[in-house]
Amino acid sequence: MTRTLQQKSTRYFLIWLPLVLLVGTGLFYILMSMHAHHMEEEQLELKQENIWNAIAANREMPAAHITGEYDLAKGSPVRSHLLDIRRDTAIYYPVSKDWMSFKLLTEQHVLNGQPYQLTTYVSSREITHLIIKVFIADIFVFILLLAAIVVINRISSGRLWQPFYVTLKAVQTYDINQNQSLPLDGQTGTWEFDQLNQVITHLIGHVNQAYSSQKQFTENASHELQTPLAIIRSKLDLLIDSSTLTEETAGLLADITEANDRLSQLNKNLLLLTKIDNHQFPDQSSVKVSEAIEKLLAHYQDHHGGDLPVIRKSIQPGIGIKANASLIDILLSNLINNAFVHNIPNGYIDVRLDNKVLVIENTGHSIEGETGRLFERFKKGREESKTTGLGLSLVQRICGIYHFDLHYHYGENIHRITVMFSQK
Amino acid sequence: MKILVIEDERSLLASIVQYFNQEKFLCDTAGSYNEGIAKIESFHYDCIILDINLPGGSGLQLLKYLRQNKSRDGVIIISARDSLDDKIDGLNLGADDYLIKPFHLSELNARVRALIRRKYAAGASVLQVGPLKADLASRSIICEDQSISLSKNEYDLLLFLMTNKNRVVSRQAIAEHIHDGPSEQIPSFDFVYSHIKNLKRKLKEKGCHEIIHSVYGLGYKLFS
Repeated sequence: MTRTLQQKSTRYFLIWLPLVLLVGTGLFYILMSMHAHHMEEEQLELKQENIWNAIAANREMPAAHITGEYDLAKGSPVRSHLLDIRRDTAIYYPVSKDWMSFKLLTEQHVLNGQPYQLTTYVSSREITHLIIKVFIADIFVFILLLAAIVVINRISSGRLWQPFYVTLKAVQTYDINQNQSLPLDGQTGTWEFDQLNQVITHLIGHVNQAYSSQKQFTENASHELQTPLAIIRSKLDLLIDSSTLTEETAGLLADITEANDRLSQLNKNLLLLTKIDNHQFPDQSSVKVSEAIEKLLAHYQDHHGGDLPVIRKSIQPGIGIKANASLIDILLSNLINNAFVHNIPNGYIDVRLDNKVLVIENTGHSIEGETGRLFERFKKGREESKTTGLGLSLVQRICGIYHFDLHYHYGENIHRITVMFSQK
Repeated sequence: MKILVIEDERSLLASIVQYFNQEKFLCDTAGSYNEGIAKIESFHYDCIILDINLPGGSGLQLLKYLRQNKSRDGVIIISARDSLDDKIDGLNLGADDYLIKPFHLSELNARVRALIRRKYAAGASVLQVGPLKADLASRSIICEDQSISLSKNEYDLLLFLMTNKNRVVSRQAIAEHIHDGPSEQIPSFDFVYSHIKNLKRKLKEKGCHEIIHSVYGLGYKLFS
């Protein structure tokens, strides 16, 4: 799952921060309670000491009992195991009709040779209330902290990454075909982004250079290869016209001519593939597919010697797509050409165009090998020497450029190619 | 008729010159940009066959120079550049025709002759070869004073053979000539054979016997 940087960092914060804060809150609660109890005990002991000191100084016995403050009993301890132990208790207050919790401490004292037991009380209700209140406040503070961290992080990372997004957008909209330089800010104020922009600018410069030289190479290769081919062809034209032509040399010339024509065709198709790969067909217009198919079919019927396959067609008129006209022409003529060339005697060709789906079905010989590999360069269905083996490869590249779906199906000597001209 | 061939590839230049000499043309040659400029400044030509990639400059520059000097010499560009843009560029600069390499010499001959007819012989639009007369305006063929009804392909084929009379024209050249599209769209050359067969039959009906000969299956020749 791909998320934006902001979403990711927020996600990390939202997963880990509450965990840390939860542990922190727990620790805080434990420490708070420990300190509070320690404080209660100190208060108990202080009260014990203060009251006994007051009793000892007065030399007369005060009231034996003050609720919530102390109990004073004369005599040896009844339950000596309770001595010097801090215990919890609850006392009923009839006025407020309420039980209140207290801590109590009983200690044995001796005054004038008489043993006394003094039990002092400290209310633990206030301290419990305090703990709860502080704890709640603490939770509020933690939640506020969490929200603040997340918000600050979102805002700051949005600002920090701003130059990055600017660069990203520039690179995204960059079109190599235009062969322009890509000006990026080299002074963003952040070292990493300065570096990034410098590296990208550098890279684009290199790519531009490579692209230009490749285009140049394509053009030069075309010229350099076509020239010797043109020379061979012109010499062949002169040779077949020579008076010394015999039947034997005529046979040789026929073979040379055919090989030369194939070579020239191969060269043209290879260059075309290179050009398509280089995206050198950027011009787009509305191409009338229906009309183009009708024209091609008429053309082939017109220029086909020997057994013409039966042609069935159902072509919805007025279908148009936005694409490069030359490329669509190459695509359609290659598909229709294949249907004619790879047909069998008394075969048929069925062309259907309906709602931007083109289906070309034709009878033909069986194919050796995997059908999926037919679209590879120089892959031929049968070892037929007359084809260049680049036709379907061209078709596939062109479909690739415009995101057309291309399907091939073979069964019982029937070949079916489906092209979906649906553009996203 | 006088033509100038500007082409840096000596071997190709020699082929073109040989072919047009046999056609009784007067051929002048230039192997570079500067040589070409010198020639067009000094002489007048009926047709200039011009390559684009030349040592010393581009053929297109030369064409520009030619047209700026108000010269009306016919120009046919021969180039390996086969994109539509290159073709449009050439024609916009004032070329009369654009032929993509590799081409057949018979095709070049047909183009040169068509250009010369268009440019200099506007009225006389009849081509006569032996007993055959082609009326180029009405696209009809008359044989021994009888009109022959031909299909478009048959007419184009016969006219092509008449233009290249007494020479062997290869099947491939005929196929590419009739098929007015890129040669990769030709599924087979068999259709040339069936057109020739029909044409021969129709000519025979009108009394033009044995005018078209097949040469060892390589091509065809029309005798005047």
